[in-house]
Amino acid sequence: MPGPIRSWVAVKHGVDVVLARAERATGNVAMDRAPRKTSDFDRNAVEEAVRIREKFGGKVTALTVGPPTAKEALRDALAIGADDAVLISDPARPELDGRGVAQALAAYGRKHPEFDLWFFGEGSTDHFTGTIGPRVAAALGAPSLSYGRRVTVDDGAVVVDREYERELERVRAAFPAIVTVGQEINQPRVPTFMSTLKASKKEIRAVGPADLGVDGAEWAPTTRRERVFVPEVARKRQALAGADVAASAHMLLEALRAEGVLP
Amino acid sequence: MTGETILVFSEEPDAVLGLVATARSALAGTPGRVEAAMLGDGAAARAGGADRLYRLLLPEGARHDPSVAAAALQQVVDLAAPRLILVASTKRGRETAARLAGVIDAAVTTGVSSVALEADGVRIHREVLSGNAIGEEVLLGPNPIVAVMSSAPTGGSPAAAPTEVTDVPIEPGPARITLVERTVKPAGGLRIESAERIVSVGRGLRKKEDLALIQELARAMGAVVGCTRPIAAEAGWLSDDHWIGLTGHRVKPRLYVAIGISGAVQHLVGMRESTIVVAVNKDANAPIFAQSDYTIAGDLYAVVPALVRALTGT
Ligand SMILES: Cc1cc2nc3c(=O)[nH]c(=O)nc-3n(C[C@H](O)[C@H](O)[C@H](O)COP(=O)(O)OP(=O)(O)OC[C@H]3O[C@@H](n4cnc5c(N)ncnc54)[C@H](O)[C@@H]3O)c2cc1C
Ligand SMILES: Nc1ncnc2c1ncn2[C@@H]1O[C@H](COP(=O)(O)O)[C@@H](O)[C@H]1O
Repeated sequence: MPGPIRSWVAVKHGVDVVLARAERATGNVAMDRAPRKTSDFDRNAVEEAVRIREKFGGKVTALTVGPPTAKEALRDALAIGADDAVLISDPARPELDGRGVAQALAAYGRKHPEFDLWFFGEGSTDHFTGTIGPRVAAALGAPSLSYGRRVTVDDGAVVVDREYERELERVRAAFPAIVTVGQEINQPRVPTFMSTLKASKKEIRAVGPADLGVDGAEWAPTTRRERVFVPEVARKRQALAGADVAASAHMLLEALRAEGVLP
Repeated sequence: MTGETILVFSEEPDAVLGLVATARSALAGTPGRVEAAMLGDGAAARAGGADRLYRLLLPEGARHDPSVAAAALQQVVDLAAPRLILVASTKRGRETAARLAGVIDAAVTTGVSSVALEADGVRIHREVLSGNAIGEEVLLGPNPIVAVMSSAPTGGSPAAAPTEVTDVPIEPGPARITLVERTVKPAGGLRIESAERIVSVGRGLRKKEDLALIQELARAMGAVVGCTRPIAAEAGWLSDDHWIGLTGHRVKPRLYVAIGISGAVQHLVGMRESTIVVAVNKDANAPIFAQSDYTIAGDLYAVVPALVRALTGT
């Protein structure tokens, strides 16, 4: 029977892909002003860590890298059941790119090496590069087990069932290990009124490069974001409404034959 | 320019062919070199016309640990000093790219649809916002790593000179990840990505038995049946090879008929490239209507049988 397990979860406060809108004139999405929310798979990651704690004891810490507004994502993690939360910010750089985020998380990992498992989403809802988890693992020299669909804990080790395009694997690694998960792994619990209230009262620790013993230069971007735009798909949007449903059906088939998409 | 090197890597021989072609077009006629790192005999790299082949002599059965491939590639990067590293944006490809980026501290991105070398960096386009938008970025710094979405290989340009070969032996480090079990997924046979016509169904369907209605319409239209995530992943009424969207398959049929589908962004991204889109939904305000060419507002249980009757003349 495994002893208490110390888990970390990386949660992102990303752009809300449903609410983000392109500006009419340019077709561009102003990412810095777009509404944000917690990245979807990160909720699954928190849920998985919380379930492990419920079974074996231990502690779950949620970590996010971003400006102070990113605390929202930590509140969500606390409401699902994380015990505490840390905001990693660089006042000099409110928004870091993927390398910067990975460097910041790795700096935290080097400074506090006391975790057994570190959970990530297998991709973030807004950027979906799927790189942050394995990249942090590489920086820390830890094994990375990606695309987890089931996680079980054995004595001092983790066993992950994971899914690739054409095959399924069960793999095992000793702690400390980094695991990334997708939405199939669990159904994150819906926070209750009480858990949300409790989460809103928890103190969130904020740390910066200096607290982690780095100067922040290694968080500098290696990506220049030029623009994000919504490609124009022009659709005809023709509503077909005949006298009755049979008439509508005939109108549709006629239209499709005229388009040449139906023999 | 005295010729820059683009290094391509994939574990899948099929992907190497496409990557070599992408690398050639990124060089756009400049006197650069395309070098390929791969496992096995390198036939694909030779067929694709790579100028050099690095044969990675990975320890037997190390595929499940992305740090092994990353360590091997790190050695190749030292040898080849590439301007750019291209990998396939498959799950393993993304994982290897990320680990390699961590080891050599380079910029990395994935899901890329176009790549161009520029004076100060590598300009790419990639899908962002769950496929709702396209991001344009320039990757800076040495050896950026770009994972590209698969593109059909455009007939290899046979190398003028025979491909040079360098063997790269890999020291097997201590095994960090052990493989307990590997199962190959049963091949479903359905190749929905290449279907000409798709009749797709969502949660508007009340029960599994009613799929017969949808199948009947598909048959009458000469179409393949597709579905939304809830139908495949939650209800399990259809297997994963029918699932369309962000986390399912990307399709581009000439005709896409969406029945009882609301049109969530994660679904739309999977079918956006369809030529003609039809939506049948009892809710005329469903988001799918704004993304369709022809719409019928009505109960699918009335509209689908009417379509079948109109098609079959019964
Ligand atoms: C990270 C992430 C990834 C995802 N990936 C995917 C993906 O790859 N693919 C995907 O499809 N989804 C995906 N989803 C889920 C997606 O957000 C939606 O939940 C899903 O697409 C909705 O499926 P639906 O349209 O079948 O169901 P609903 O949204 O429930 O829509 C059902 C529709 O049927 C209509 N209807 C009901 N009864 C009738 C009737 N009798 N006649 C006619 N119409 C009727 C309703 O008006 C409604 O519009 C993902 C979500 C997340 C968070
Ligand atoms: N700013 C961030 N802060 C904390 N975790 C992050 C951040 N960005 C990404 N992550 C983590 O990395 C995962 C993959 O993100 P990505 O590489 O962007 O697809 C996410 O699901 C999160 O777990």
